Amino acid sequence: MSKVQSPESKVEELPVIDGELVEVSPVEVDLDDEEKTVVSAKNKIAKTQNPKTKAQNPNPQPAIRNYLFLPFIFLTVTLLGGWRLSSPENAFIFWRPALFCLISAAILMVLFFRAGLIKFEGWFSEDFPTLQNVANGAVLVTLFAASAQIFNALLPEQGLPFWVLAFCFFWTLWNNLFADFDTKKLLKSLGALFGLAFVVKYLILANLTAPASESWLQGILQNPTKEAFTWALDLPRFSGGTGYIQFFTVAFYLLGLFLLPVSPQKK
Amino acid sequence: MKEKYIQSLGIVLIICYGFFILWLYWAEPKNLVEVSTKAKETIENTTTKGQIIIGTYEVDAAKFGDGLKAFRAENYVAARSFFENADPERRDAKTQFYIAYSFYRQGFGKLYNDDELFKKGLEETNRLLTLDKNFKADDADLKMKTPAELKNEFEEGLRLTAEDFNPLKLTRERK
Repeated sequence: MSKVQSPESKVEELPVIDGELVEVSPVEVDLDDEEKTVVSAKNKIAKTQNPKTKAQNPNPQPAIRNYLFLPFIFLTVTLLGGWRLSSPENAFIFWRPALFCLISAAILMVLFFRAGLIKFEGWFSEDFPTLQNVANGAVLVTLFAASAQIFNALLPEQGLPFWVLAFCFFWTLWNNLFADFDTKKLLKSLGALFGLAFVVKYLILANLTAPASESWLQGILQNPTKEAFTWALDLPRFSGGTGYIQFFTVAFYLLGLFLLPVSPQKK
Repeated sequence: MKEKYIQSLGIVLIICYGFFILWLYWAEPKNLVEVSTKAKETIENTTTKGQIIIGTYEVDAAKFGDGLKAFRAENYVAARSFFENADPERRDAKTQFYIAYSFYRQGFGKLYNDDELFKKGLEETNRLLTLDKNFKADDADLKMKTPAELKNEFEEGLRLTAEDFNPLKLTRERK
């Protein structure tokens, strides 16, 4: 007569297997500290079974972004920030940044650190190889250069408008320095600040500037009001192309800030 | 690609692009054509400066020869241009002496001297004296051999005295 086994006794006889529980439902896997992706459970096992492969072939995209793409964007901003086109012959003018631009850029860098857009310990550490520290430092230098040039791009070149806008910039940055910011709020604030400055300089002031004419008499007869504003506010006459160049300068700078990681170092 | 290679590449990119931007703001080309012209000029200047630093700078003998020919043919403007190109760094006393001398010969007049040219000549001679005050020319064609003589001639020529109205001055010869 055969012996009937209870289900409990069947379980006791099963061999013990060491392993992890395979989940059927999709799970979130941390590929690195910044990217989260949803993969199937099979994929998860495949990755956990071969940890050495992951260590040997890390994803190069963040490094390419941090050390090639970001410096390229910031240096392009540095190049374009002082670029003007003269009127009417469209000759290149490379306008060097005023001292105020460097001071503002320095304040802005402090603001980036305070708001947590950049974490110092994530960019520089004694534990990092020298090359990495140097590369990180170089990226931040390009950020500083781009910041100086963005002020150069957005501030009027000379005269009363320069001092008025410079004062507004300084006031805003100084206030921001002591405010509680998070990264998103800082980026929004800077976007609004630079956007407004762009409108003031390249839409309002540019439209108050009289076009270049053959003689001052002809200019006064044709555009008396604009000539008066140009003379009174000491506005330089630039070609319309300058505004287009500076639009892309601001756009590239904000894009660069958006892509800038808090720390290039993986956890 | 390993991260350290990307970092190295990034540093190279930053240095090269950064230098290009600095150069653009320093050279201030007016258009795209000027970008290449100014780049060529910068490379030539850098090469010359490099030659000075390593001590291999020397005057372009061919251009100096052309300058000497023009000088002897009394084409002083062309001669100066050749001499200046032969010694762009203005470090060769002999070439600078010929430049100063060309101002004297071009500015000399029996009735009156050209003050503008004499002033420029005097400036060149003063520069020559700081370069090599003991310089002595070995050209038999030149009647003044030293910068001191040349300087004296320029100063006398620029000074207005009663002697200037002496009719016998018309008989004087150019040196």
